[in-house]
Amino acid sequence: MNFDNLKNEWNAENPAESNISSDMLKINQAHTPIDKIRAKMKHEFFYQLFFLVFMAIIPHIFGFSALINRVFMMTYSTTCGFTAYYFFKFYIFYKNSYNLSMDTRKNILWFYYEMKLNIELYKALTYIVAFISVGFLTAFVFIEKASIFSKILNKLSPVYILLNCFVTILIIGAITELWAWFYYGKYLKQVKKVIDELDYE
Amino acid sequence: MKETENTFLTLINQHKAIIHKISKMYMNDAEEQRDLFQEIVFQLWKAYPSFKGNSKFTTWMYRVCLNTAIICFKKESRKVDKTPYDGNIDIIDVNENEGKEEKLAYLYTAVQELNAIEKALIFLFLENQSHREIAENLGISEVNARVKLNRTKEKLQFIIKKNGYEF
Repeated sequence: MNFDNLKNEWNAENPAESNISSDMLKINQAHTPIDKIRAKMKHEFFYQLFFLVFMAIIPHIFGFSALINRVFMMTYSTTCGFTAYYFFKFYIFYKNSYNLSMDTRKNILWFYYEMKLNIELYKALTYIVAFISVGFLTAFVFIEKASIFSKILNKLSPVYILLNCFVTILIIGAITELWAWFYYGKYLKQVKKVIDELDYE
Repeated sequence: MKETENTFLTLINQHKAIIHKISKMYMNDAEEQRDLFQEIVFQLWKAYPSFKGNSKFTTWMYRVCLNTAIICFKKESRKVDKTPYDGNIDIIDVNENEGKEEKLAYLYTAVQELNAIEKALIFLFLENQSHREIAENLGISEVNARVKLNRTKEKLQFIIKKNGYEF
């Protein structure tokens, strides 16, 4: 195979295509993996907003007592606080522009770590909200169903209770990790593959 | 703004063959080629303020085009024939009499089996880039660029042969 001949033919090739017009500069959204993650995070923001609004009416739906209502308000305000903090971080990520004129290595590493950082932030928020919810449910059971719950607790061994706590944490962890991987992980995997190809010697 | 846009469009139209070639190298399907072409044009326009004129426009353009193509993945991973070469293939000799376009078509088919970095290496080589320039574009050492390019050329030769062509 003669690469020099091929080169000449390659350079002589001039695809007869129509001119690029200004309309092509006006597409709304780019489709790099980071843009796809940003678009998904934007959707999640609206789901989360809906969830917070729904949470606000939970006491009315279930007719909480005054005491559990106070605990719920604490839970709700903490959840809102953490959500606002993380969504501010995601907003910065969303607005942070990227520069594709760097060399490929710098560019791909920037994409990889920016995506990884935000997926980790996303997981952190999911963990926090999940544990706050578990905390509230525990408080609810202790306050509202104290008599039944104390009877059950008396019958259970400390090892069994600890084991249950451990399994709960494990389930929350597994769901969070799997969800993040299923929703965002494939993009990260694709970018990591390119880094490996670049590093392979 | 309008003036900047016009300057950009003039420059980009002068060198649009680069975008076409990269789109054809990175995507096999015509629709995906069009999508990638559009994505590259959009990314070039977005990155245009970063072009300060310290280097040639094409040098800057190569980087943005390749980085966009490398980072924009196919919608679904296409099943590429990875059958190892067993030596029992009828080789069609594509000689000088045959159309140059046909030879390039075989090349475009063969490069679909290369990974994103190998495609970038072959593209820059065919665009007459030196080892140093290839290394600078990809952010790797010159020695590494040389080694990778030689390996990729061998791999490409093997694929073309495996597909039953020789030129």
